[in-house]
Amino acid sequence: MTDQAIIDCRGVKKWFGDFQALRGIDLQVTKGEVVVIIGPSGSGKSTFIRCINRLEVHQEGQIFVDRIELTNDVRNIEAIRKDVGMVFQSFNLFPHLTIMQNITLAPIWVKKQSKSEAEAYGRELLERVGIPEQADKYPGQLSGGQQQRVAIARALAMQPQIMLFDEPTSALDPEMVKEVLDAMKELAKEGMTMIVVTHEMGFAREVADRVLFFDYGQLVEAGTPEHFFTNPQHDRTKLFLSQIL
Amino acid sequence: MTTAIQRPTRPPFYRDVTVLKWVFQIAFLIGIVTVFWLLGTFSIANLAKQNLAVSWDFMARPVGFQVAEGFTTFPESGFEALLVGVTNMLRVTISGILAATILGIIIGVSRLSHNWLVNKLATVYIETIRNIPLLVQIVFWGIVVSIIPDIVVDETSDGSLKSLFGLRLLPEGWIFASPKGFALPWFVPTDGRWQWVGFMIVGAVATRYVYRWRIRLQEAGTAEARAFLWSGGVLLAFAIVGTFAHPVMGIFGPVFGFVAAFFQNTPIIIFQIVLAGLAVGGAYYIIKKRLDELRTPAGLGKLTDDDWFRLVMAAVVALGLALFFLLQSGPVEAIVGQGTIFGQDIGFSQLFTGLENRFSFVGGAPFDFSLPAIDGRFNNYLPDAGHVITRAYFALWIGVVLYTAAFIGEAVRAGVLAVPRGQTEAGFAVGLRRSQLLRMIVLPQAFRIILPPVGNQYLNLAKNTSLGIAVAYPDIVQVGQTIFNQTGQTIPIVISWMAWYSFVSLTLSAIVNRWNKKLKLVER
Repeated sequence: MTDQAIIDCRGVKKWFGDFQALRGIDLQVTKGEVVVIIGPSGSGKSTFIRCINRLEVHQEGQIFVDRIELTNDVRNIEAIRKDVGMVFQSFNLFPHLTIMQNITLAPIWVKKQSKSEAEAYGRELLERVGIPEQADKYPGQLSGGQQQRVAIARALAMQPQIMLFDEPTSALDPEMVKEVLDAMKELAKEGMTMIVVTHEMGFAREVADRVLFFDYGQLVEAGTPEHFFTNPQHDRTKLFLSQIL
Repeated sequence: MTTAIQRPTRPPFYRDVTVLKWVFQIAFLIGIVTVFWLLGTFSIANLAKQNLAVSWDFMARPVGFQVAEGFTTFPESGFEALLVGVTNMLRVTISGILAATILGIIIGVSRLSHNWLVNKLATVYIETIRNIPLLVQIVFWGIVVSIIPDIVVDETSDGSLKSLFGLRLLPEGWIFASPKGFALPWFVPTDGRWQWVGFMIVGAVATRYVYRWRIRLQEAGTAEARAFLWSGGVLLAFAIVGTFAHPVMGIFGPVFGFVAAFFQNTPIIIFQIVLAGLAVGGAYYIIKKRLDELRTPAGLGKLTDDDWFRLVMAAVVALGLALFFLLQSGPVEAIVGQGTIFGQDIGFSQLFTGLENRFSFVGGAPFDFSLPAIDGRFNNYLPDAGHVITRAYFALWIGVVLYTAAFIGEAVRAGVLAVPRGQTEAGFAVGLRRSQLLRMIVLPQAFRIILPPVGNQYLNLAKNTSLGIAVAYPDIVQVGQTIFNQTGQTIPIVISWMAWYSFVSLTLSAIVNRWNKKLKLVER
């Protein structure tokens, strides 16, 4: 393992019943790197990033996050989840809490921050994602794009070292995609380590340090965006790109 | 030729929607009133033909029967007999709702358990209980109790008692079981209990403040809340201190006495005017609120026909009530306690006199610990020793509790399952522990879904207590039936039943609705 690898996956395999979703994934992500994962649906890309914060349990192989191994040890899982923020396709905001409460819940109860401290930081985050005026509303009162930006702020509130994005723009109206992508670009610029599962090729091209192509539970091809979009090596990659570009 | 803008012509009245709506509303109202009036007069006339004039006199007259259990077993009037029935019904309903809620939550959560045995046991429980009619279950539990071996006096020895499994028991013991029911040790309330209850009301208020104070500290970040621990401790402290210090509440005695005297001695016309004023004021408030709701920034919105009908009805009812209060002094006298209701001397004045008497009493402990005891000659439980759970009470209570809990369990399960999986994942992703997740994310959301169906189950439970008649439990139905068997006054009794069950059901649903409203999610 290289010293600066903040995420280190070795031969990760996962089955859902008889179906093998991951067929041995090896991946090292260095601090500050932005990795974009693309691939057809059912290729295991979402499953893979959900393994990184243990929303799914991998059955073979090893995952180290910040040198802590993900095992059945509850203490390790809790430590890793504190360090890894996640943004979901369907936002998953807590509908019974206000925007501010959504953001401050984990800092108060998990990090044991005081309410005023957590709220001050929460306001700062809302400022950063561009919706400071929505703090006292409920998620149901916001548009999809605003909700997804709140979800980003909620994940950032725990001051994670790594952010996972699971198709963050797939459930959005086209005109709201940009505001979410902008927030993510901002984050990448600030040096956050990010793993992004997305179908937004423009984002991949512009922001990614590395693009990974997943198919059939395997990491088929990896490379810089330039290499990837101009000179893909693998036939499967070429086919996929020819279909979507 | 230019076409002038034509003024819309008014259609003939029989095609005018506004006119038609009003005509139908009023016709419907008149129709309803007529049907009930006709039904009433016909049945009264028919009963009169059979020498059965409808009369409420039995309410004031002594009844010639004994009630099996209740706050008194020898009611002095029909009214008091029905009152015993009412309190017996409430006893089962309130304790039943509490027990069914707790059991239902346990069953519901068990059905979601990953523990195979727990899961299957809960499933078997639900499928068995909810597929057997409640009446059958109540009768079944009655039979279960009735086949417990009776307590017999053991003649061979010193007259001690033999109970279940041939256990040798003294006339006084800890737990008794016999076909007549069960008897347990209990804290039997004494005269001091009223002062203690008053003390606890103060304690509850104090607890509320302590709870808020702890939450405020937590929010300010100076301390962890532990709000439940704190408020529980304060309440317990009040309960313990109150056991000794409750006579302090005696100072409220004279206050209640003063209020009672006020209701008794103030000229009735003042109450008439106040009540009439309340009716008019209430209508004014309702109308104003409705108009405010309809007001838009541009001014008063257009009133629909329905709005007009509502506003006019509110005004008419209020004026009717006001006139009634002003012209009829009798009902007002009854309410404040200067007159009688059904020949009973009850009302606000009597209520406060009662409170005065109970609070002015300065006495010892509010509760006496007492062991159950048996009258050796008749194998009856002594009514004032320990707590006696009669066969009828037990059969009805366990029947409705087990039955309702099965349905509550299903509602709980459905509610928890209805919280989207994404909520759990999002909670885990921000680092919440399983218990925090359950408490702060899943249960609050599940509760909103659970509450309406569970509220329905509460209503069902309250109404199902009337099945107690199958095991001769003296609730309002059984007592009422005894009364009309004796007096032939079926109609007043049935009206009393309907009024009582409607009152309980409406109260329960009002509580649940209010709660529901408070929990509603805010959507744009």
